[in-house]
Amino acid sequence: LIDIRPVLFVNGFLLLVLAAAMGIPAMVDLSAGDSDWKVFAVSSMVTGFSALALIFGTRSRGRPSLSARQAFMLTTLAWVSTAAFAALPFAFSNLRLSPTDALFEAMSGLTTTGATVIVGLDHAPRGILIWRALLNWLGGEGIIIMAVAILPLLRIGGMQVFRMETSDKTEAIKPRITQVATSITVAYVVFTALAAAAFWAAGMGRFDAVCHAMAAISTGGFSTSDAKLAHWGTAVQWVAIVAMLVGGSSFVLWTGPWRRGRPRILDDAQAHWYVAFVGTAAGVLALWQWAVNDMSLGVALRHAAFNVVATVTTTGFASADYGAWGGFAHVLFFILVFIGGCTGSTAGGVKIFRWELLFSLAGIHLKRLLHPHGVFVIHYNQRPIAPAILDSVQGFVVMYFFTFAVFAVALSMVGVDLITALSGSAAALANAGPGIGEVIGPFGSYRPLPDAAKWILSAEMMLGRLELFTVAVLFSRSYWRE
Amino acid sequence: MIDLRPVLSILGTLVCILAVAMLLPAMVDFRDGHEEWMVFATSAGLTLFFGLALWLGTRQPSRRRSVRQTYLVVAFAFLLPGLFAALPLVYGPLQLSVVDAVFEAVAGLTATNATVVRGLDALPRGLLLWRALLGWLGGIGVVALGIAVLPELAVGGMQMFRLEMPGPAERATSRGRRIALAILAGYMGATLLLAIALWLAGMTGFEALVHAMGTISTSGASTSDASVGHFDNGAVTVLITLGMILGGMPFLLFFHVLRGNRKVALRDHQLRWYLALLALGTLGVTAWLAGSRGLAPLDALRHGAFTVVSVMTGTGHFTLDYANWGGMPAAILFFLAFVGGCAGSTSGGIKVFRFQFLFAEALMQVRRLLRPHAVLIASFNRRPIPEEVLGSVMGFLFVYALGFAMLSMSLAFLGLDFVTAVSGAAAALANLGPGLGPEIGPGGSYAGLPDLAKVLLTLGMAAGRIELFAALVLFVPAFWRQ
Repeated sequence: LIDIRPVLFVNGFLLLVLAAAMGIPAMVDLSAGDSDWKVFAVSSMVTGFSALALIFGTRSRGRPSLSARQAFMLTTLAWVSTAAFAALPFAFSNLRLSPTDALFEAMSGLTTTGATVIVGLDHAPRGILIWRALLNWLGGEGIIIMAVAILPLLRIGGMQVFRMETSDKTEAIKPRITQVATSITVAYVVFTALAAAAFWAAGMGRFDAVCHAMAAISTGGFSTSDAKLAHWGTAVQWVAIVAMLVGGSSFVLWTGPWRRGRPRILDDAQAHWYVAFVGTAAGVLALWQWAVNDMSLGVALRHAAFNVVATVTTTGFASADYGAWGGFAHVLFFILVFIGGCTGSTAGGVKIFRWELLFSLAGIHLKRLLHPHGVFVIHYNQRPIAPAILDSVQGFVVMYFFTFAVFAVALSMVGVDLITALSGSAAALANAGPGIGEVIGPFGSYRPLPDAAKWILSAEMMLGRLELFTVAVLFSRSYWRE
Repeated sequence: MIDLRPVLSILGTLVCILAVAMLLPAMVDFRDGHEEWMVFATSAGLTLFFGLALWLGTRQPSRRRSVRQTYLVVAFAFLLPGLFAALPLVYGPLQLSVVDAVFEAVAGLTATNATVVRGLDALPRGLLLWRALLGWLGGIGVVALGIAVLPELAVGGMQMFRLEMPGPAERATSRGRRIALAILAGYMGATLLLAIALWLAGMTGFEALVHAMGTISTSGASTSDASVGHFDNGAVTVLITLGMILGGMPFLLFFHVLRGNRKVALRDHQLRWYLALLALGTLGVTAWLAGSRGLAPLDALRHGAFTVVSVMTGTGHFTLDYANWGGMPAAILFFLAFVGGCAGSTSGGIKVFRFQFLFAEALMQVRRLLRPHAVLIASFNRRPIPEEVLGSVMGFLFVYALGFAMLSMSLAFLGLDFVTAVSGAAAALANLGPGLGPEIGPGGSYAGLPDLAKVLLTLGMAAGRIELFAALVLFVPAFWRQ
C-alpha cells in the first residue's frame, strides 16, 4: 500500500495556509462590526487545529519526498480537503447555506470556477465577500503552482512539454521548482496589486477593487455584486478585460529571463494563438451585435470583448446578459467554453496549446492522405513534439469530451433541462462558471438546481481543475496494486 | 494537372444509374394514372443524356485510377447526382425552389433525409418512392465507400478495415467481386425480407417497400409525416427497429456469415460495443418514458428502443415526437447521434470504432502515467492499433468537432436559435435527419430555414457522408500540384 503519511503531511500545510487566510475575513468583519467574525475565527481555529494535527501526526524524519503515486493522491486530496474546510464559514455564517450549497460554493471558489449559489451579494457581509475572493485567489495560485510544478512531472495531458527546461544550453543554471514557484507567486501578487490599483483608479471602491482584482487575475469570477461587472462603468470593464487576459496567460513566461530584450511571452506560440483567437471571436461577435441587435459599435465591442474574454479565460464575469443576445451568442459562448486559456495560467478548459497540437495533427493527417509514406513531425514553439506527448494530448481531449458527455447526461438524469445540463456540464468542467439558459445564465444562480446536481457539478469542477487524469488514475487498478 | 477523364466517366456512370432509377417512380405514377410520370420520364431522359455524355465522352481503356482521382470521385459522388436527382422535385407538383430541391435530393442520397417537404401522406406515390429510392441507392454507395474506398484512402483511421487480399492480384479481384456480390445480395435480401415482413405485419405493399428501403439504408424515408408513428403497430415498430440495427452493422459481416463464418461476427468488438451502447441508451430512455411519461413498461421499451436505434444509426424514423422530451432523453439522444453506427454500414456519425480506439488509448494513457517507461499499446479486435491510425482518428475527430462548431455557429449567425442550430448541425454531419426543437425536430421540416442555411446544411451532409477528410483534401494546395 502507498505510504500516505507524506501526503497528509503536505496537506496539513495547505490547510494551515487556509486557516491563516480565514483570519483576513475575520478581521474585515470585526472592523465592520459584523458578528460573522466569530464564525471565521472559529472556522480558522478548527482548520488550524486539524492542520496541526495532520502535520504533527504524520511528521517523519528528514525531508519529506513524494513519489509519483503520492503526488497524484496529494493533488486530489488537497482540493477535496481544502474545499471541505473552506465551506465551514459559508455553512455557519449568517447566510446559513446548506452543507451542499456551502461545499459547492467553496469548491467553485477554490477551483476558480465562479459558479455561485448565493443571491443578494450586494447586501452580503463583507467578510463573506472577501472570503469568496480569497478562495478564488488562493485556488488560482494553487493551480499555477500545480500546472508548473506537478502536472508536467506527472505527464498529465501533454504537459510534459512544459517540464522545467533546464535553461538554454548556454546557461548552466537549473531553475529549481521552488525558485520558479516563488517567482511565479511574485508575479501573481504583483499583477493582483496592479489590477486592484487599476480598478480603484477606474472608479471602484477600495474593497470592491481588491475583491475583483483577486477574482480576475485568478480567473475565478466571484464578484461582490449580483450584477457582476455590469454594476460598474466602462472604464472598470476595460480594466477587467485586461486583468482577465493576463490571468489566462502563462505566468511562467512573464517571469523568466528576457530574450532579445523582451519578455518571452511575446514570442510564445500559445500566447499568439490566444490573443488572435480572442480577438477574432470578439470581433465577429461585436459585428454581429452591431448589425443585428443595433448596438453602437463601441458598446458592442466592449461587451463582446468582455464576455468573450471572460468565457475563454473561464473567469465567468459578465458585463451584460448575453443570454438575451440570441442564438448566435448562445452557440458561440457554448463553444468558447471548451477552448480555455493558456497552460500554466489560472484558466481552465482544454487549453490553447492542446488545440494547437490537435490542429497540427489534423493537418498531418491531411498531408498523409496525399503522401501515405511521408514522415511528418509536429513542431511547437520551434521544437519537435514527441509522439508520446501527442498521445497524452489525444488521451486528454478524448477524456475531456467523454467526461463532459457523461456528466451532462448525469445532470439531465437528476432533472435538469437540456440546455442547462449541456452548458452547466461544460462550464463546470472548464471551471468557467455561468452557463447558458434561464437558470444558470450569466446573471443566474446555481441555487435552484437540485442538490444532486450540485454534487455532480462540484465533482466535475474538481475533475476539470485537476486535468482529469490526476483523478482518473486513482481509479485504476494498477494504482493500488503492490 | 490531374487527368479528370476517369473521374468524369465514373460520375457519368453514377448519373446513368440514377436515370434508370427514375424510371421506377415514372412507372408507378403512370400506373396510378398520375400526371407526374411525365416529369419523371423527362427528368430520366435528361439525366440519362448527361450521364451518357459524361460517360462516353470520357471513356478510356481501363487504367488504374490514382489516389487523387479517387478523392475527386468521392467528393462529387453525392453532390453531382444530387443535382440531377433534384430535377423531379423542381418540376413535379411540389414546385420546390432549386435550393430546396437540391437540399432534399442530397439529403436523400446521403441517407440523411432531412426534409423540406411536408404533407407526405397526400403526395403522389411516385415522389414517395423516389425519396426512398434515393436513400436506398445512397445507402449502397455509402456501404461501398465504407468498405472499399475509404479504407484504401486511409481516411480517419479507416485503414484498420482494409480488406485483406492475400495472394496474386487476379485472386484478389475475384475475391473483391465475390465480396461485392455478397454485400449487394445481403443488402437487397435484407430489404426484401424486411419489406415482406412489414407487409405481413399489416402495411400495404407500397408502404412496406418504402419503409424497408428507408430502414436498411438508415435514411429514414417514410410515406407519412408522422413517420412510423402513423401506423401505431407494435409488430411494425419492432421489425423496423431490427432493420435499423441491421443497417448500422458492418456489412462485411454479411459476407462472412454467408460463407458460414459466424464466429467472425460474434468476435467483432465493434459490434459488441455498438449493441452495448444501443442497450444502454435504450435503458435510459425507456426508464424515462416509463417514469416521467407513465407509459406501460413494454410500450416504453418499444418506443425507447425504436428512438434510440433510429437516432444512433442516423435513420431518422420516429414513433413519438421526441423533440419535446425532457432533458435526460434529449441529452442521451444528442450524444448518441454523434456516436453513429459501425464502420462499413449505411449509418452516419463518427462511428463506434473511432470511440473504441480512443477509449483504448485513453486507458493506456492512465496506465502510462504510473509506468512511464513501459511500452503499452492499445489494441482493437486483438490487433495493435498503429500510432498513425490513432493520429488519423484524432485528426478526424478534431475536424469533425471543428466542422460541427463552424456549422452550428454559421447557422446561428443566420438567425437560428441555439437548439435548432446545434442539433441541426449535428444531424446534418451525422446524416441523421431530424434535429431537436420545434422547428426541425421529428415531424418538423427544414423548409422554414433561410436559403443560405439550407446550402450550408447540404454541404454539411455531403461532407459528413464522405467523412470530411475526403472533401477537405481537395483544399490542400499540394493536391492540385502536378
